[in-house]
Parts: sequence; structure tokens; C-alpha cells
Amino acid sequence: MYGLEAINASNGWAISVVGVTIVFTGLVMLSIVIAQLYKVLALWENPSKIKALFKKKQPEKPREEQISNRVVFAESQKEVVKQFALLVRTMTDHFSLPRLLQLALISDLKDPYLNLNNLFKTKIIVPDGSGFFTWDKDMFDKLVS
Amino acid sequence: MDSLFIEFFHNTGFYLWDYRYLLMICVGLGFIYLGIAKDYEPLLLVPIGFGMLVGNIPIFKGLGLGIYETNSVLHYLYFGVTQGIYPPLIFLGIGAMTDFSTLLARPVLMLLGAAAQTGIFITFLGALALGFAPNEAASIGIIGGADGPTAIFLTAKLAPDLIGPIAVAAYSYMALVPVIQPPIMRLLTTRKERLIRMEEPREITKREKIIFPIVAFLLCCFLAPAALPLLGMLCFGNLLKEAVVTERLAQTARNSVIDTATILLGLTVGASTQGDVFLTPSSVGIFALGAVSFGIATASGVIFAKIMNLFLKSKINPLLGAAGVSAVPDSARVVQVVGQKEDPTNFLLMHAMAPNVSGVIGSAIAAGVLWSLMAKI
Repeated sequence: MYGLEAINASNGWAISVVGVTIVFTGLVMLSIVIAQLYKVLALWENPSKIKALFKKKQPEKPREEQISNRVVFAESQKEVVKQFALLVRTMTDHFSLPRLLQLALISDLKDPYLNLNNLFKTKIIVPDGSGFFTWDKDMFDKLVS
Repeated sequence: MDSLFIEFFHNTGFYLWDYRYLLMICVGLGFIYLGIAKDYEPLLLVPIGFGMLVGNIPIFKGLGLGIYETNSVLHYLYFGVTQGIYPPLIFLGIGAMTDFSTLLARPVLMLLGAAAQTGIFITFLGALALGFAPNEAASIGIIGGADGPTAIFLTAKLAPDLIGPIAVAAYSYMALVPVIQPPIMRLLTTRKERLIRMEEPREITKREKIIFPIVAFLLCCFLAPAALPLLGMLCFGNLLKEAVVTERLAQTARNSVIDTATILLGLTVGASTQGDVFLTPSSVGIFALGAVSFGIATASGVIFAKIMNLFLKSKINPLLGAAGVSAVPDSARVVQVVGQKEDPTNFLLMHAMAPNVSGVIGSAIAAGVLWSLMAKI
């Protein structure tokens, strides 16, 4: 028997494919392992890196929670913030910050600069990306109301 | 008294000679010439060449002289070939001589060693198509691995009758690496590709070198257990070398053991090429297929390197693919020579050793795979 007939009869195609696949698999596996070997050895030689690797990371708290933890409004400040809310209501949805500050100064609010800064930090006042700002009512309700 | 003389004359080689013996003696002389005068693999070609002279002295059967006579000394020495004893011993020595640093520095080059083994399986198909039995076709295909001991080992297990032609073909082509490979390499690469410079390999720690043979052995032998005799000895030899504390054993493995095994293997393989047994149409077919196998293996490595370059940021010189055949270190030397013809300041030898030694591992795995698959047929 000769030619393709002989190859088919001896299952030659399958043997060749399996053979090539196994040789490649073996060497690919080996190359992957030895490519990682020096990294593993580097960890082995420096155990502190292993500890760092397995050290539990503190779960990241939601941003709002972080903010609320960082800036806590005192009762007196909450009153001022509420007054800021009233001023904002007199303005358009997308308002100018200098204008709000001006209104706060005219209205003689307590510590206008500090409180305006706190409104920023707490993301109650949020930039809209076009040079104006918006009032986040949900955040205001959560932190102040 | 006359009858005694006549009887003695009838037992001499002059009376028993045959053109086939004479032809093989000429081939043996050719091998010795290539080994000594041309320095082509002298450690292999000289013992094989002289073995051919030994095996082709016309002798009368029954005196226990010929290698195929069960009570002859040569037959006992040949036992190491037919039972696959010498090849693992040679692998032990190769392991004790081989430095895997470049492979560890850039493991991706290992894929070139795998790609070059494709030649084995394509030739296997070719041999089947030419009418060889599957076990014979597998033994012929392994010539493409360009690894003499592996070819002999597999043939001893699968087709012992073909050991002579396959061993001679394998070692002949290994010796002819500097002649066969360069035209294929130049044909498949552009000048620009041949000029590619390789990145400097990173430094390898001693600990990596010690761990490598253990990891390689476990991984490869779990995948292809039939490669155990060859890969086991290769990795063991390398561990002896790298462990440093076993330097005395490594010295023995890389000198006495491999030298003894090479002498006995070369001489007996050469002696097994008795003209009346060796010169058959199938031997001619084996030689032709061996050349094809070797050529395909070289081409596969080069083409695969070019394919890899499509995906790699740091390009590799595709000439390195030719070193994927496991003729250590000849094919790596050929890569260096061909590369330096284009750019004398480009040193590729060190980089070519990576696919070269992975070719040794790859061909041993391929032999193991073929052995286990053929055993089931």
C-alpha cells in the first residue's frame, strides 16, 4: 500500500497531529514555567514580598462614605449649608461659583470660604465640566438633612 | 597440504569478497576522511567509519565473528545498541556538558526547538506514503530530529532491523549540517532578517540552573513518559553539572561515560552496516527520506521564527530557527556562521544554543510520543 491510502490506513494524519501537539504542549508548558521561575525564586529569596502579596487589602469604601468620614458637618455648619442650598435655589441649575460666593458674602453667611470648600469636598457642589456647577441634592440630603 | 591452503583461501576475505562489501568499505573510508580531514563530527564519523571497515570484512558464517552472529564479541557489544543502552548514557553525558542558561534567559526560544520537530512527523507521513510500515516510518521520521542517540534509541525499540541505515543516515546528516542547512536558511530569510540583532540575555542564577533540570524532567516525563530513559538521563546529567557538589560525577559523565558509550555505539553501528544486509532498496529510501526530514526540520524552525516575529515586540533573528534541530552544537555554529556572513559583528551563537538544546528535549519527547503511539498499533 502506498500514498495517501497507506497514510490513512495507518492513521498517519492523526498520529502526526497528536505528536506535533504533544511536543509543542510540552515545550510551551516548560517555557511558561521557566519564564516564571525567576519570579518565584525572587519571592522565595525575599519573604517580605510574599507577605505583602498575601496581606489583606482593606476593602475600599465607597467614595461617598469616605467623603462623609472625612468631612463631618457640625450642627452650626449644617445650618450654613442649608442657607447655601437656599441661595442655590435662587440660581439656575448650572450656576456660577463666583456668583454663589458673592451671594454668600452679601447674605453674610458664616465662614463662606470654608463652607464652600466643604461643599466641594463633600461633592455637594459638583463641576459640570463647562465652567459651571450643579447642586447634588441627594448628597446634600444624605449629609446634611 | 594443498587442500589445507585451498581451504584456508576459501575462508579469506579475498575469496569471499562481494562488491557490496567493497562499496561499504569505500563509504567507511569516506566517513573516516570526512572526520579526520574535514573535521566533520570526527568523534562520531571516525568510530562509525572504522566500524564500517570492521563490519564489511567478508567472513564465513559460523565462526562467531560477525555482528549478527549471536556468539560473537561484536554482537555482545551491539547489545547496547539493540537494547537502547548506549543512547541514554550519551544523553547523560550531554546533560553534564550542556549549559541551559540562554534557554532560561529567553524561554520563548524554546518554541523554535518544538517547531523544528515538525520535520519528524512530516517525514513520518512521507515514509508511510512510500510503503514503510508505521513503526519503520516512525524510526525514519526521527532522523529529522538530527539526534543520533535518539534515532538509534527509537529504532532499537520500533524497527531493530533498520538500526544500521537509520543510524548511519542520522549521523551522516548530523555531520553534514554545515552543508545542508545554510542554503535552506538563506532561501527562507531576507538579508534584513539575517541582520537582526538579539537582545542581551539576562543573567541566570545558580538556583535557576539547579531547579531547571528537575522541573523539565518532571514536566516533560509526566506529559510523555516514554521519553523517560532519554530525558531522565539528560536532566540527571545536567543536575550533576549544576549542583557543583557532584562535580566529580559530572566529570565522569561528560568524559568517561559519554566517550565510552560513543566509541561502542559508533563502532558497532558502523559494523552493523554489512554490505549484504545494509545495501537494500529500503536503505536508499531511508537516506532519501532522512535528507528530506532534515531539510523540513530546518525549514520549519526558520519559518516558525518568522511567524513568531509577527507577534513579538523584540524581534528574533529567524536564522535561530535552524538551530531547533538538535544537532548540538553544530547547528548553532551554522547559525553563527551564516549570521556573521551578513554582519561580522553579530554574535548569534549564544542565542542559537537556546533552540538547539530545546531541540534535544523536543526530539526526545517526539521519540517518546512515537514510541508510545506505535506500541499501541
